[in-house]
Amino acid sequence: MKEFLKRHGLWVLFATAVIAVVLAVLSVFSTTSSPLVNLAQTITSPFRAAYTAAAGWLMDKQSYYEDTSALKAENQELKKRIAEMEAEVRQAQNDSEENERLRSLMNLREQRRDLSDLEAATITEHSTSNWTSYLTLNRGTDHGVEKNDCVITEAGYLVGVVSEVGSNWCTVLNIVDTDTSMGAQVFRTDDIGVAEGDFALMSRSRLRLDFLPAGAQLLNGDLVVTSGLGGYYPSGLVIGMVEEVQTDDSGATSYAILRPSAEFDDLTQVFIIKSFDIVD
Amino acid sequence: MTPRQETIHKWGLYALLTLFCCAWQGAVLQYVRLGGVFPFVYPILAAILSTLEGPLSGMIYSLVLGVVCDLTISAPIPCFYTLVFPLAGLLAGILARSVLSSGFLSALVTSMAAFVLTGAFHGLIFMFASRPAWGQAAIVCAKELAVSLPWALPVYFLFRRVWRRCLENEPTRL
Repeated sequence: MKEFLKRHGLWVLFATAVIAVVLAVLSVFSTTSSPLVNLAQTITSPFRAAYTAAAGWLMDKQSYYEDTSALKAENQELKKRIAEMEAEVRQAQNDSEENERLRSLMNLREQRRDLSDLEAATITEHSTSNWTSYLTLNRGTDHGVEKNDCVITEAGYLVGVVSEVGSNWCTVLNIVDTDTSMGAQVFRTDDIGVAEGDFALMSRSRLRLDFLPAGAQLLNGDLVVTSGLGGYYPSGLVIGMVEEVQTDDSGATSYAILRPSAEFDDLTQVFIIKSFDIVD
Repeated sequence: MTPRQETIHKWGLYALLTLFCCAWQGAVLQYVRLGGVFPFVYPILAAILSTLEGPLSGMIYSLVLGVVCDLTISAPIPCFYTLVFPLAGLLAGILARSVLSSGFLSALVTSMAAFVLTGAFHGLIFMFASRPAWGQAAIVCAKELAVSLPWALPVYFLFRRVWRRCLENEPTRL
């Protein structure tokens, strides 16, 4: 190499200078790029593209891994937040339902000033036998509940009557149960009768309105309420609507089949009427 | 184990199985409504144990079971199950010992008899209360029987396992 430079160094220097001058001149006069630069760029361009693609692929993989890790963490966090929010929504729904019930109850209290003492109760169990229809509530003698207290919904629909009471529980026979019987009155006509459970109707959640006066003209959809006669139960509690009017086997008297206004299967909270004023 | 300990052990296991069945009834079966009724496992318990143990032991067991039911389930009269279950147990025990050979078929038949007896008592009570509803009582009884009878299979084999295990430990009684 040393020998080569000693022998041809001047020529190499000269050639380099010529090439530099030519390149400088070409670049001055060229409108785009010099041919040599163009040639070099053209030759190296595919290689650079390949290099860039490979680097890009590696970068993608790296960021994919980083993104995946971050997304997994974010996903976990979001799942946790969704669970918390769902719990809040459920709580809000419960609160909203309770709020609605209490608002209805407030309206009922304003409308029915004779129902002086109401106790809110939660249903802990529905019927545990196929032969009776009853509910178990979480209120008992500790809360002032007594046997034969009426139980209503927040809308004032009669659910049933307390049949057994313990210290912190009570059993409520639904109005469709065969052991339930109470004075009833047809709201439109003021006809008095007895609403009582019938086993043949109990499975359909229906009850009978018996002992109607001769010539009672009932219509489907007539509202039936408690009569309150004798002061045993409060008057005006909604029992249900007349669904159909039938004549008994003898053909002498008629009775009505009532559809209770309270939906027993959907109930979660009810109100026990612990005391009431007798309204004439 | 002495025969006395063996008896206590066996009846302790029966009591545990009964508790398990009661919990199953309250926690699961009560919510499985088919055709408007849910399975009712107590008459099956009375019938199957009476089938395995005979009329006297079965009747005593059924009496205790009836008391438990009356304390926990609302019935048309306060001592309804206390009256019905011992009779069902006695009937099942007599049927299993004198008419049928002991086995699953016998347990099925006696369970059916227990349901029919329970339904008939309900019908009688409705009749005495001046609200006869024999037709509806028969329908409910048939539905209850249909949805409950499949549970006789697991109940029978659970109780039979205890019964056989204890019987094997008493070779003189085999």
